[in-house]
Amino acid sequence: MTSLGFDYPWVLLLLGLCVMPLLGLGPRWWPSPSLIGIPRDRVSEGAEIGLRLLAALSMALLVLALGGLHRRDGIVTRTGKGAHVVLLIDRSVSMDQTFDDREPTAKQESKTAAAVRLIQKFFAGRPHDQFAVVAFSTSPILALPLTEHRAAVAAALGAMKRPALGKTDIGRGLGLALAQFGTDTTQAQNVVLFVSDGAGVIDREVKDKIRADALRTHVHLYYLYLRTKGDPGLFEKMDTADASAPASLNQYFSELGVPYRAFEAEDPSAVARAVEQIDRLEVHPIRYHEHVPRRDYAPLLYALALGCGVLVALALLAERGLAEGRP
Amino acid sequence: MTRAMSRVMACPALRDPGSWLQVAACLFLGAALLFPTLPHRRATYSLLAVVDITGSMNVRDYTLDGRPASRLEEAKAALLRMMSDLPCGSRLGLALFTERRDFLLLEPVEICENFSALEDAIRHIDWRMGWEGESHISEGLARGVTLAHSVGSDLLFFSDGQEEPPLPWTGQPASLKRDPRVRGLILGMGGTQPVPIPKFDDNGREIGFWADSDMPTENYAAPPPPGAAQREGYNPRNAPFGASRHTGMENLSSVQTAYLEQLAAGVGLDYRELDSPGQLAGWVERVAHVVRLAARANIAWIFGMLALICMTARMAWAIGSTRK
Repeated sequence: MTSLGFDYPWVLLLLGLCVMPLLGLGPRWWPSPSLIGIPRDRVSEGAEIGLRLLAALSMALLVLALGGLHRRDGIVTRTGKGAHVVLLIDRSVSMDQTFDDREPTAKQESKTAAAVRLIQKFFAGRPHDQFAVVAFSTSPILALPLTEHRAAVAAALGAMKRPALGKTDIGRGLGLALAQFGTDTTQAQNVVLFVSDGAGVIDREVKDKIRADALRTHVHLYYLYLRTKGDPGLFEKMDTADASAPASLNQYFSELGVPYRAFEAEDPSAVARAVEQIDRLEVHPIRYHEHVPRRDYAPLLYALALGCGVLVALALLAERGLAEGRP
Repeated sequence: MTRAMSRVMACPALRDPGSWLQVAACLFLGAALLFPTLPHRRATYSLLAVVDITGSMNVRDYTLDGRPASRLEEAKAALLRMMSDLPCGSRLGLALFTERRDFLLLEPVEICENFSALEDAIRHIDWRMGWEGESHISEGLARGVTLAHSVGSDLLFFSDGQEEPPLPWTGQPASLKRDPRVRGLILGMGGTQPVPIPKFDDNGREIGFWADSDMPTENYAAPPPPGAAQREGYNPRNAPFGASRHTGMENLSSVQTAYLEQLAAGVGLDYRELDSPGQLAGWVERVAHVVRLAARANIAWIFGMLALICMTARMAWAIGSTRK
């Protein structure tokens, strides 16, 4: 998984220098006319070889440090708790009004602000999830495909707080959201969190496509309906069939054949409760990747080389003598 | 004092180059451990790319990897190439332009850490994300400058300059303001030859090209041009533009150099025409604000090298002295 590497492998050619301390072990020039008179001293001979090896070792360590020996960075796959979550966020103009259908003030935040703030909290509490961000108004807009990069998800959510535009086309938005999942559902559970303050008619053709995609991706669908004051409720019984009412959309979703939950929120605290509930429900095993950072061994190698070098230096000083009068 | 000095100078180890070379090597190694890095400041950039995704950007008058490519594909390729060319620590945000608005997809994020996420987001930019077909470029540009400032970035505005509906004969209506805090580039997309604009049906299938009769060729929001009175069927109240349809070339598209240059001058950006994706990073480095990031430069290797030289010199001297 992780392995060693060199930044400058060509520097390793300098390892050839390490043989230098080992050279000249044979016959050598000596100030006395004959060595025969000097008794053989095995301790000194051993010390000589030891010191030369130490010198060679310190040079080798130094060359390894200069070559940039390091443990490569890598990715390890781990299993945690989480899901693949597509955040499908309504960006039509009405979302920029408050729950009381007024202009937002310092005290009362807009539906967008409340929803995004609570989704950001949801995101912060789920470190192993992958997220995608899909905005929809008149047209569906893919802000960010599914990713593990948390900074990018945070940036996409931040961008969702900007002024909204246009009208609402739920069908195409859902279609784009479902298109974010691969067909391989063994990796993680697919979840769509759909946040909107309205409903609308979905084209028959699009309805069939959504149903097929939902079944194919085994998605868990959550509809967080931000109910504005005066708007029809999600669970209201309808006297007359109104295809564009939230209740009809609720009906359609519940007949999709995939796990589905609807939440109606009339104020930010209700949104918070809904998001917490979703957070508790979506706990599945997920394979995620963790980045193992690169580690440089240079400091360690310098320290070891220094250790060897100091021993050699002490030996040299001792041999040559620090004071006059010694041989 | 002098006696002490002379005693030290007389010390035999100091007269032996081998000893002091080894001591010097140890000192250099100590320095490599104690002072491995020097602080310095690195140049990075923070950019917001606003990409025009209106119909005329689907015109295929570029070539990428030997295949015909649309202006939008070329713009995306240029952004991807720029991400690999700019230094790490630089940031890039994304926004789309159609109608009069710039829709922010991503606030600027660091390009190296988030490379694959940004790459994926850029590859998925599509004309189908457009929320309306009109293209009032001067308004999109003015808002782009404000948006770039609000996210603390410089602006890259990719457009072919084709207004839809066409500009009134009176010229540019919106007054453009310079913002000295925002620098950047308008990138003129497209060739100079006018070519037909591809047409798509409701399901996104390409169904040929737009015809002249499909397009508004005059801006009816403005007063009629001088000389309209001479047109056939002119009536000051009922037909101020004349009775017959003015024929134009709005179904054909080429890069509107003069107009885009004028817009660039209006908001104080630089104008460049994009011919190949590799050009972008160099232009950015010349034009955009430099954001200095604190970084640390590795200098341990210099000390390490000096230590190695000392050790090698000691060994060379030792070998040389044994062969006298």
